[in-house]
Amino acid sequence: MTKIGIPRTLSYYTFYPLWKTFLEEIGLEVILSPPTNKKTLDLGVQETVNDACVPIKLYHGHVMALKDKVDFLFIPRLVKADDKNTFCPKFLGLPDMVRFSREDLPPIIDPTFRMKSLRASLFGFLYNIGRQFSASKTSIIQGYLRARKAHKKYHYLLNRGLFPSEAMENLNSPLREIDFPGPGKEELTLAVIGYPYSIFDPYISGNLLKNLQKMGIGIITPENISSKDLKTFSRYLPQNFFWYYSNRAAWAALHLINKAKKIDGIIHVTAFGCGPDAMLNKLLELEAKHHDQLPFLSISIDEHSGEAGILTRLEAFIDMLEHKKKAEGSKTA
Amino acid sequence: MKGYLGIDVGSVSTNLVIIDENDNLLTSHYLRTRGQPIRAVQEGIKKTGADSPENLEIAGVATTGSARRLAGVIAGADTVKNEITAHAVAASHIVPDVQTVLEIGGQDSKIIIIRNGIVVDFAMNTVCAAGTGSFLDHQAARLNVPIEEFGELALKSNNPVRIAGRCSVFAESDMIHKQQTGHALPDIIAGLSEALVRNYLNNVGKGKEILPPIVFQGGVAANPGIKASFEKALEEKVTVPPHFDVMGALGAALIAKRLMSRSDKPTRFLGFELSDFQYEANSFECEDCPNNCEIVNILVGGELHARWGSRCGKWDQIEEKRTG
Repeated sequence: MTKIGIPRTLSYYTFYPLWKTFLEEIGLEVILSPPTNKKTLDLGVQETVNDACVPIKLYHGHVMALKDKVDFLFIPRLVKADDKNTFCPKFLGLPDMVRFSREDLPPIIDPTFRMKSLRASLFGFLYNIGRQFSASKTSIIQGYLRARKAHKKYHYLLNRGLFPSEAMENLNSPLREIDFPGPGKEELTLAVIGYPYSIFDPYISGNLLKNLQKMGIGIITPENISSKDLKTFSRYLPQNFFWYYSNRAAWAALHLINKAKKIDGIIHVTAFGCGPDAMLNKLLELEAKHHDQLPFLSISIDEHSGEAGILTRLEAFIDMLEHKKKAEGSKTA
Repeated sequence: MKGYLGIDVGSVSTNLVIIDENDNLLTSHYLRTRGQPIRAVQEGIKKTGADSPENLEIAGVATTGSARRLAGVIAGADTVKNEITAHAVAASHIVPDVQTVLEIGGQDSKIIIIRNGIVVDFAMNTVCAAGTGSFLDHQAARLNVPIEEFGELALKSNNPVRIAGRCSVFAESDMIHKQQTGHALPDIIAGLSEALVRNYLNNVGKGKEILPPIVFQGGVAANPGIKASFEKALEEKVTVPPHFDVMGALGAALIAKRLMSRSDKPTRFLGFELSDFQYEANSFECEDCPNNCEIVNILVGGELHARWGSRCGKWDQIEEKRTG
């Protein structure tokens, strides 16, 4: 069977169930790169232009992990998520960046993903991929329907509070068998804002989520906010960002600060050198300040950041929140 | 008499402080870590033990600093605290209404914003060490000025030169240029101090509300030139507390006291004899997955006492059994 490789980062966290379901439906075998490890990062740093952010470097590392195991690499050119949201320029140029990084790569399948909406444009996008592999019309239509369903269910599970790895594991389980997180019984709940490929990759985030969970902290991420709630806050800013993931992160944070009101602080995870984040980070900082000085911590990740440095900041931040809560408690008592 | 021991093991210095039950400072020691934290802690414990009153009984120990976990195992700490909390506790203790803490150590610097005795915001420098003690150390060596005289010389300047402090590499070439064009040494040193302060305020202090009273602590606070530059840049009085160089350890001692006075458990402190124990650390690379984590073993008298370093946590078992 023809093997097609998908790197386990960047759009993986948003689209993997969709890509995988469709590609398998048209008769390909999907190979996923292993979870990020030291070697992925080392190879990525080695193969990528120096100025790129660490998520882009990691992507190259995942490509390297796949290149000798597959017949094709699947690197769609993500341009527009809908009529308003564009992807970061590095996503737009990703297939070219990878193609010119090394000469010994398998052929790259790089269809342009430019959606008016998924409903309007997804079929055309998938149809072209299917034709490239001479798939029958029936299997393309079947694949399209199943892929949409998988995509929908995946995001439903995320909205119900699961993290991507859990949602992917449970993609085929009936809903009643899934253990959804209940209403937070944790003392403290934090909004962890950032792009899914930074937050949910335990290697590059210094195990951020797990370390927070070990400290007994409840976590909400942008992926856990429904598109309806995000949409409410897409009309809040006088001017939105151009970029899909930045908008999602901003709207999610605005929703959690203004409406949900059940968070005790915000942690923004940002990759060193990220252009869009130069603005997003400041926006979040100011929004937090304007809402009763909501505690805000910014964590910058790059290829050098060790778990120790991140842990020191987390511990200090949690100490601060606990003392604050205690002081507020004694004031009202 | 009961005493509480605080140990702060940083990249450059290892500090130990003992306080009594009324928070009075009994002993304080400042040692160079010299890349050997275990030996530094042992040596510090030895000196501290020799200096302490005969009837002193250590009732609690806390460690902080970048080697806090290691120091915690070596000394038998009751709690291990991050250095931001420790510094904030110490500053609030010395200056109860403090609102801003500026701390510059050997390799890192931080700012802590306190309101009504509670930390409300903080920041630490990122990977860049341009605004820290090691930057000054390095430049002092370049200029052939002992670091102890650096601050006094800066105060003699009437016309500080402007040096780019954004990056220590640029600062160095800038400084050489100023030397070559004939500027006086005090003016160059004062310029460097201002560059460090400017860099600190732009990086670490970015967006923070710096209100008085302001306390300046950490090893670099020994430098009156930097203090003067801070006062000039902030247009506020800056206080350097008497024990500015051991504030982390003082904070840890205060934390140990607060914790142990609320608990009826005995301290885990291994005693001043620990300076005679045989500590040994070795490491190996785990080959079970491509992460190749470097696992560190801490042996006391040949017996495995603690272990850490694995991302997946499987090698941490021993440690968790001990502390859990």
